[in-house]
Amino acid sequence: MNNRITIGLPSKGRLKDKAVEFFEINNLKVLQNEKERNYFATIKNKPNIKIIYLHAKEIIQRLGDGTLDVGISGLDLLNESEKNLQDTINIKKKLNFGGANLVVAVPDDWIDVQTIADLEEVAFDIRSKRNTRLRVATKYPNLTNKFLISKGVTQYKLISSLGATETYPFIGSSEIITDITSTGKTLEDNNLRVLEDGLILKSTACLFVAKKKALSLQPFLNSLE
Amino acid sequence: MKSKKLSEKIIKTFKSNGFVLSEPDVLLDSEYIIQRSGENFRRSILAFENEDGKVMCLRPDLTVASCIKFLEKKSKSKIYYSGQAYRRANKKGSNLINEQLGIEILGSKNQLKDDFKVIKTILDSAKKTKSKKILIKVGDIGLFKKLINSLEMPERWKLRLIRHFWRPNYFEELLKRLEKNSDIDSVNFNTDKKRFYEMKKMKQEQLIAGRSVSEILKRFDKKIKDPRSFNEGKKIVKIIRSFLEINCQLSTLDNKLLNFAQKNNLEKNIFKEFKSIQNLKKLNQEVKFITNFRRDIEYYTGIVFEIISGKKEIARGGRYDDLLKSLGAKKNIPAVGAAINLSNI
Repeated sequence: MNNRITIGLPSKGRLKDKAVEFFEINNLKVLQNEKERNYFATIKNKPNIKIIYLHAKEIIQRLGDGTLDVGISGLDLLNESEKNLQDTINIKKKLNFGGANLVVAVPDDWIDVQTIADLEEVAFDIRSKRNTRLRVATKYPNLTNKFLISKGVTQYKLISSLGATETYPFIGSSEIITDITSTGKTLEDNNLRVLEDGLILKSTACLFVAKKKALSLQPFLNSLE
Repeated sequence: MKSKKLSEKIIKTFKSNGFVLSEPDVLLDSEYIIQRSGENFRRSILAFENEDGKVMCLRPDLTVASCIKFLEKKSKSKIYYSGQAYRRANKKGSNLINEQLGIEILGSKNQLKDDFKVIKTILDSAKKTKSKKILIKVGDIGLFKKLINSLEMPERWKLRLIRHFWRPNYFEELLKRLEKNSDIDSVNFNTDKKRFYEMKKMKQEQLIAGRSVSEILKRFDKKIKDPRSFNEGKKIVKIIRSFLEINCQLSTLDNKLLNFAQKNNLEKNIFKEFKSIQNLKKLNQEVKFITNFRRDIEYYTGIVFEIISGKKEIARGGRYDDLLKSLGAKKNIPAVGAAINLSNI
């Protein structure tokens, strides 16, 4: 029983397709359960491998608590997670899909704001004139905090968002946002612009392994290309 | 028990100097604190959500808690506090609970007298508890501001250096940038100029993500007109660095500053106003002046000081005229205060 491997894969969209494809390229054929929406799968001729489809964020969590041995998810989600959790997970390999950037974006018409240095000034301006803080909407509070503080922006307040963050500046919920973008189209279509030096993280899909299993799974993981 | 006796001794000195007990609330609205201290402070507070969904926290600091009390008009202006403050630190093994004991003078305009009163009271109480040799280290953020304002560089750079004086690492980064003249703002404005003219025709009071069109255009305009590059960077950084190396006995400070101004071709009288520090000569105590008196707390605006006994810092304090405004006061309210570091006594 000791050689059982539980693998978590993203349950939806392009990331799911690409993750399945990654295994197939490695001659590991993913066998879908006959019930179309079932969340479990197996691999042909590998009875010891079990696949579970999960939300990409959950894959990180489950690697941390030992439910999963191996998983495919985004680097952004690992880096955003709490440090204790990060310490339990190894990045085995960066994969060539799922590329996206976490960026700071401002409304197009803030034509006076091109760089983080500008943003820092505007934030101080808002603080001193209105005695409030610049609101930054984000799904990535930890990475955003770390980035802004390192760039000298201190006068802000984070607004946590679950989705459609791009709308926040225009419905009065925040002034600016940080968000993940792969083509920039959603930002553009919502009249937002990335700051010139506003790249917080270059993310990509990764093959992760639970640190506890890293050694025993090394032969298996090394066989994946 | 030892510390209780010590506290009593110190409090006696506070009282005999006219300070009245203030008992600030233990629970504070955490939004209030975050609004003041910044998002990064969220990690440091001990917070919970109450039944209404409001996030409350244990008071992280008695200065802030006392100021809130004062603004609610529930305390006198010349106060002392004694109690616990609760804060998470990044370091492992550091205490969550800190005993704090200190004094504040809030809302009084007599700066010179108040600065002296606070330092003298703290010094007297420190003396009652320690027999080791006492040294006062003092600085003044106002002097740094005066130096920066006298130098030839774009206004935005001046403000930036002043704003980040209290963050040593980032400040150093700024100096390096200034030295190399790699002003990150030097971007091409051509594409936006077009939009600038379009926006000029818009309703000027219209808001775009919380900022009015006129506000955006005004800043844009100022940015283009501000000198975009300056070759003096290296020279300016050299002056700033050498200023930050000034450390001397209070008695020789006048001469030092004068020499510094002469050597760097600055106007003779740029540092003339620092009476609060000069006043400390009256203490009959060894006072050391340092320019590079930097803290990880941004709220000081004027005089700052530490009292050292042996090698340990036993008290610290300073003037913070902007704090009450940042806590919601309509205008700047002068404030000066200091706290005893009980764990080092």
